[in-house]
Amino acid sequence: MNTHQHNEGLFKKIQIQFGENIDAEILEDVAKHMDDCPDCKIYVDSVQQTVKIYRVTEMEKSVPDDVSDRLFKTLKLKRN
Amino acid sequence: MKNSNDEETHLVEKAKAGDEWAITAIVKQQSQKIYNLALRLMQNQEDAEDVLQETFIIFINKIKSFNGESSVGTWLYRIGTNVALGKLRSKDYINWDISVPDSQFESLKGYEIRNWPDYPGDEMGPEAFHACLKKALKALPQDYRIVFVLRDLESISTKETADILNISVSNVKIRLMRSRLLLRDQLAKKLKCVERD
Repeated sequence: MNTHQHNEGLFKKIQIQFGENIDAEILEDVAKHMDDCPDCKIYVDSVQQTVKIYRVTEMEKSVPDDVSDRLFKTLKLKRN
Repeated sequence: MKNSNDEETHLVEKAKAGDEWAITAIVKQQSQKIYNLALRLMQNQEDAEDVLQETFIIFINKIKSFNGESSVGTWLYRIGTNVALGKLRSKDYINWDISVPDSQFESLKGYEIRNWPDYPGDEMGPEAFHACLKKALKALPQDYRIVFVLRDLESISTKETADILNISVSNVKIRLMRSRLLLRDQLAKKLKCVERD
């Protein structure tokens, strides 16, 4: 396994653009670089995977009953 | 037959007129969403509850001036975000001028890279993995965490996030990218998917 060194300019561009509407020219640079750089592809994939993991695991929680009770009491509303 | 937009408009009009049933209905419909937003931003239940209550107090006090340009959910979301940010600022949780130095990000490029398993949590067990995710998120610099929560977890647009935080769109993009890189880095270390040189 080799120590990975990113293309500096490309790395900056990815920092700014990644995950957004990527400019076509930058996208082409990224694609060309990744063709020659499997480590970079793995790295970018793992960043995407990180976001995906958080989206999947950060499930919506119900408001606990005691929290809900206090909310309605504070608002002077009837919960039921 | 009324569609959901018609129903919401009707409910909001009644709430604006002071109808307690309509106000209660909106609180019931929206409280879970606001509570989850608050939990993610504040990272503790007590502060999240404060944000929840303050958001709906503002909602009740200001519903008459709600102009309907957005959905009531979006409006509440914005109120909730601003309440949470106000609390974070007042507690000096956020130092808005401090960012992770560029040098820290430069160091990210020196890793050895290994493929991640399909679901990294399998190796640790779900509870330990979930705790690891929470710890990594909580450890992010606050200004990065807020952008990550708004953009990646709550799916707020870049423009809206920029407006809420009163920062530029470019700044949102940079903070988002950096938050992702930091989280990825933290997880990779925990999961032993990469090693420092």
